[in-house]
Amino acid sequence: MTQGTRRPGVGRRTLIAGGTAAAAYAGLPMPAVHAQVRELRFLNAEPGIDSVRALRVAAAQYERERRVKVVIDTVPPGDAYTRMVSAIRGGRPYDIGTLIFVAHVLTLANEGQLTPITELVNKHQWGKRILFPINGQQYWYMYDYNLCWLFYRKDIYDQLKLEPPKTWAQLLENSRKTMTEGATRRFGYTTPIGSNDATNWMSIGHLWAEDVKLFDDNWTLVFDTPEMRRKTAAWLDFFGELYKTMPPGLTQVTFGNILAQFAAEQAVHAPYAGRMIEFLEQRAPQLADKYGMMPYPDSSGARAAVNHGYDGWVVGKTPMAEEAVRFLEWFSDAHYINFLHSAPLHMQPPRLDVYDDARWRAHPLIEKHAEAVKVMQGFLEDPNIIIRSIDTDGPAPDLRPAKIFEAWSVPEMIQNKVLRNMPSDACVEQAVQSMRRAIAT
Amino acid sequence: MRSRNDWVIWAFLAAGLAVTVAFVLVPVGHAIVLSLQQADSFISTPRFVGLANYARVLGEEAFWRAAGNGLIYSGLSIVLQVLLGLGFAMVLNEAFPGQRLVRGLAVLPYLLPTVVVALTFQWMTDGSFGIVTVLLAELGLGPIPWFERPDTAMASVVLASVWLWTPFVTICVLAGLQGIPLSLYEAARVDGAGAFARFWHITLPQLRPVLTVVVLLRAIWMFNKFDIIWLLTKGGPLGATEHLPILAYKRAFSQFDVGGGAAVATLSFLILTALVMLYFRLFPLEEKR
Repeated sequence: MTQGTRRPGVGRRTLIAGGTAAAAYAGLPMPAVHAQVRELRFLNAEPGIDSVRALRVAAAQYERERRVKVVIDTVPPGDAYTRMVSAIRGGRPYDIGTLIFVAHVLTLANEGQLTPITELVNKHQWGKRILFPINGQQYWYMYDYNLCWLFYRKDIYDQLKLEPPKTWAQLLENSRKTMTEGATRRFGYTTPIGSNDATNWMSIGHLWAEDVKLFDDNWTLVFDTPEMRRKTAAWLDFFGELYKTMPPGLTQVTFGNILAQFAAEQAVHAPYAGRMIEFLEQRAPQLADKYGMMPYPDSSGARAAVNHGYDGWVVGKTPMAEEAVRFLEWFSDAHYINFLHSAPLHMQPPRLDVYDDARWRAHPLIEKHAEAVKVMQGFLEDPNIIIRSIDTDGPAPDLRPAKIFEAWSVPEMIQNKVLRNMPSDACVEQAVQSMRRAIAT
Repeated sequence: MRSRNDWVIWAFLAAGLAVTVAFVLVPVGHAIVLSLQQADSFISTPRFVGLANYARVLGEEAFWRAAGNGLIYSGLSIVLQVLLGLGFAMVLNEAFPGQRLVRGLAVLPYLLPTVVVALTFQWMTDGSFGIVTVLLAELGLGPIPWFERPDTAMASVVLASVWLWTPFVTICVLAGLQGIPLSLYEAARVDGAGAFARFWHITLPQLRPVLTVVVLLRAIWMFNKFDIIWLLTKGGPLGATEHLPILAYKRAFSQFDVGGGAAVATLSFLILTALVMLYFRLFPLEEKR
């Protein structure tokens, strides 16, 4: 373009220069705006749409009432800790985070990355084995007990005139009797056996019922004692027989598959928490009134057990920690029950006052399945029911049981028994060695 | 002009160097530093332990089992991918009705995300209602314990990997085949060479540069392959499909042993480097003058 042909007015260069200048100056008033809007960063690990919605409603209300914006990021539960750590390493830690593994809380607390919320936690009464104090301080505000028990098909039990089992032998017999062959092949029992969280959570309740422990109060590995070895070997013998009533492919099975197998009428007994009832309501409503619930039995009928779990929120050690604690306090009064209602039967309240709260009881599914809720509450109250899990075993939160959990020592013990047909004693010996290796590092 | 060209060359070299430093050398260096420390997590205060992590890891059966599994997995996968890819490419190089459609279909598995392939494979081989399981049962075969036994689990993972990545070999070899002058085959025919002789004395030597690069790339990728195994078996059952990348990940990210995980990753890097150097020695990319 020559000078003689240049048009008057705003040229391309002027436009670019003006735009650049405008963009550069636009940032100037931003610090003032930021100073007015305070912000909390909340890491949510309940990706269900109802849970996210419940949190967003609470966040919007809090912003209206307190002029504090609550930004919610949601990740799958298994990714929560990695995200928390990445955020800390990246210099933008979360003010509130969801954690699902006691060792992660312990690691963060030990590194001074968490703010204690002892006073807030102590405002309520909690169920047994759900608080995990670290050096006398509470860091975790629980919202889900995540107990795991057994479901069975009550209609098939009625049809075959079976009684709910009180012992391993009765459970085995019932599982065998409820199997069918042919086009509508049905299995007696299903449970995961792969090296994964699902196996650790769902498949060892019978072992806890037998009062097997990993550690004593002095952190000695008592799983290695003759008594525990004998009990565990007996359990493996039982499990080996029970395995013959299970469907194939259980090394690949995880949480969702167990729901699907029970709902598809493929198995008569299956482990899970209240999610199973919600799943039946949504996907197999014809079975929603045909299930029974029971804890894992032991060998003699003297005791029973449910496997333990937990989910909760922690407050980070951030400049907004005080505000985060205020938000959590406000949330635990005003929106805790709304949040629990986002998975009404699955999120079993760890806070005991909730069971008597009319607002919580008013949810249609909780009303409809009042009998099931009574059984769930009974797990907490019955002194003959043992609540235990690998990762929480021992006298206090510690990395040792968590390492055993993550080393898959118990799932691999099961696999040695049912996939390799190893003698039970040898399986236990390998598990002991695996545990020793895990806690040695 | 010469000085301006030099400037452009240096600029590109600098950009490449910056990317390599930022995304290769720094992470590798960081991993090596981590491997010399003891830490429960990435936010823990690390403690310098020298080569103790290496000594510990090298003394563990799990490390050697994982190294062996990696060699078996990558070795079997590469052999099958190359053999099948070569065969498919030779078929697709011939003229037949619907050739273009078949070429498109042959590439399809490679276009799918790994997670889709893994989930599809899992569903197809599900022990209860997988289509492959049911079809085999109808034929009176099975049940096949796809992921139930250590040996079958490794075979299943190899099978899924071959299904997913053979198209890459097919595409590369097909491109190589199309570059072979037809006059060579015509001259061989005139000399009375049969099909096998033509393949052995013309096709294979002409494909050598392509195959050398393809085998090298596949070897590096398969030895480091994490996603397909993690999605299918997570290294199980009983560690049968656990190779070095999975062992390193488990140690660092879930077993509270960042130093051990970094040591495994560093050793894996060194093993692969040694294998690649050996490969270059056996199959040099440039012909000796």
